[in-house]
Amino acid sequence: MERRVVITACSAITPIGYGKDAIVESLRTGKSGVKPLRDDGLLTERIHSKVFGTVDYPIDYGFARKDTKTMGPVAYYACKVAGDVLAESGLSQDFIRSGRLGVSFGSTHGSPTVQRSIYKTFFNEDKSKFSSIGAVDYLKSMVHTTAVNITRMFGITGRVVASSTACTTSSQSIGYAYEMVKFGMQDAMIAGGADEYDTTTIAVFDNLLACSVDYNDTPKRTPRPFDRNRDGLVVGEGGAAVLLEEYEHAHARGATILGEVIGFACNNNGGDLILPNLTGITTTLQLALDNAKIQPADVDFISAHATATKMGDVIESQAIAEVYGNKPWVIGLKSYMGHTMGTCGAIETILSLYMMEQGFLAPTLNLENVDERCAMLRHVREVTEAGTRTAAIQNFAFGGVNNCLIITDGRK
Amino acid sequence: MTRDELQEKIVVILVDEFEFENPGFTDNLRDDHGFDSIDAIELLAKIEEILGFQISRKEKEKAMSIRTINDILDYIETIQAAHKS
Repeated sequence: MERRVVITACSAITPIGYGKDAIVESLRTGKSGVKPLRDDGLLTERIHSKVFGTVDYPIDYGFARKDTKTMGPVAYYACKVAGDVLAESGLSQDFIRSGRLGVSFGSTHGSPTVQRSIYKTFFNEDKSKFSSIGAVDYLKSMVHTTAVNITRMFGITGRVVASSTACTTSSQSIGYAYEMVKFGMQDAMIAGGADEYDTTTIAVFDNLLACSVDYNDTPKRTPRPFDRNRDGLVVGEGGAAVLLEEYEHAHARGATILGEVIGFACNNNGGDLILPNLTGITTTLQLALDNAKIQPADVDFISAHATATKMGDVIESQAIAEVYGNKPWVIGLKSYMGHTMGTCGAIETILSLYMMEQGFLAPTLNLENVDERCAMLRHVREVTEAGTRTAAIQNFAFGGVNNCLIITDGRK
Repeated sequence: MTRDELQEKIVVILVDEFEFENPGFTDNLRDDHGFDSIDAIELLAKIEEILGFQISRKEKEKAMSIRTINDILDYIETIQAAHKS
């Protein structure tokens, strides 16, 4: 049994805004969410990269303490966007608690903020103090904290999938949720990801010489996907969720259909855990087209992973050129907000839905001089009014994980 | 520490950190204020700070039968007395 899987609600908290209106305005006006890195009193002095994709606007969470007592910052983002999609969807409380709604949600490594507070116990020189490990610190920090705090807050009793594959976390969340619904295990899934402000992630990439350092005094000029003068990625924060629903179920209740997931592929390079792999990525892109049962020419635009690392963008360009030629438009959405890690796939999926709905394509920011090794693609260089209906969202992660989703707009 | 002093400290903690509204000494902690087993563990950590010594595992298990603020105060006084002896 294969069932159609449609998107009936979405919400994103991003460095360029929260909600469709703010995000679309940022995309149309070229507003960057990259800001100076804020001090954590721990690692920032030693990190070379001083920029961060920052959520710096107030968010009215309105959560009760009974819910927040098991939540670290990452779960705040997760539960907020999950609550938004449930409210937008109009699903009944009976259905939400029926066991036919599941949650597929993840983060890079739970809540590092809470993990750091746990570690303080081991370095506490005041021996008269009692353990600083709280009763709920594990619940706040564990790797599946986002998924289960969502189930707890909304009384969801269906399946839980807690992907945690770094940069492919939320695109896998959506992909596996798609398969859950497609093959009848669930009728709907909340899918997405979140990651909180965290300097350990920056430190890891900084040590690998993968972070941007040349634009510390001009944060908005980085990251620069596909640009000749790109110098690495910029880490960011945020949360994003989509509601995936079986088509007949959505249709029967008169739900607004925002889009449809028609294809998903995920594979592994089977070797190096860091370097991008042309064969692995190319295979993923082709497998996603096969899964969607469409041809390369059917795809209107590609949301590239495009982190602005020196080799990553080149390998991805080669893979796109091999599979698609130069017909589809290509956008590097991380140019607006940096790399939101476990959240990026869901954010880029939602931004792609917005652009299809609004009939425009946002340009890759800071793409001033295209690297000649990436020049064979059809880059979006300015705001382009274009009616598009099919998009591929590509994400690749440390560990050699490659992921591709193919979505269409809500009109099919 | 007198019972009145203890009472004052516990009420402040319950209001400030556990968001109790108008706590009564015989209120059912769970039914009236949503106080659950996770909260009980968190409160025990606060009580250890007040007492200045670590509560044993066996003594902590006894705390799981607490139902009211009066029970909390009785529990702390029992622990204090046992520690002095």
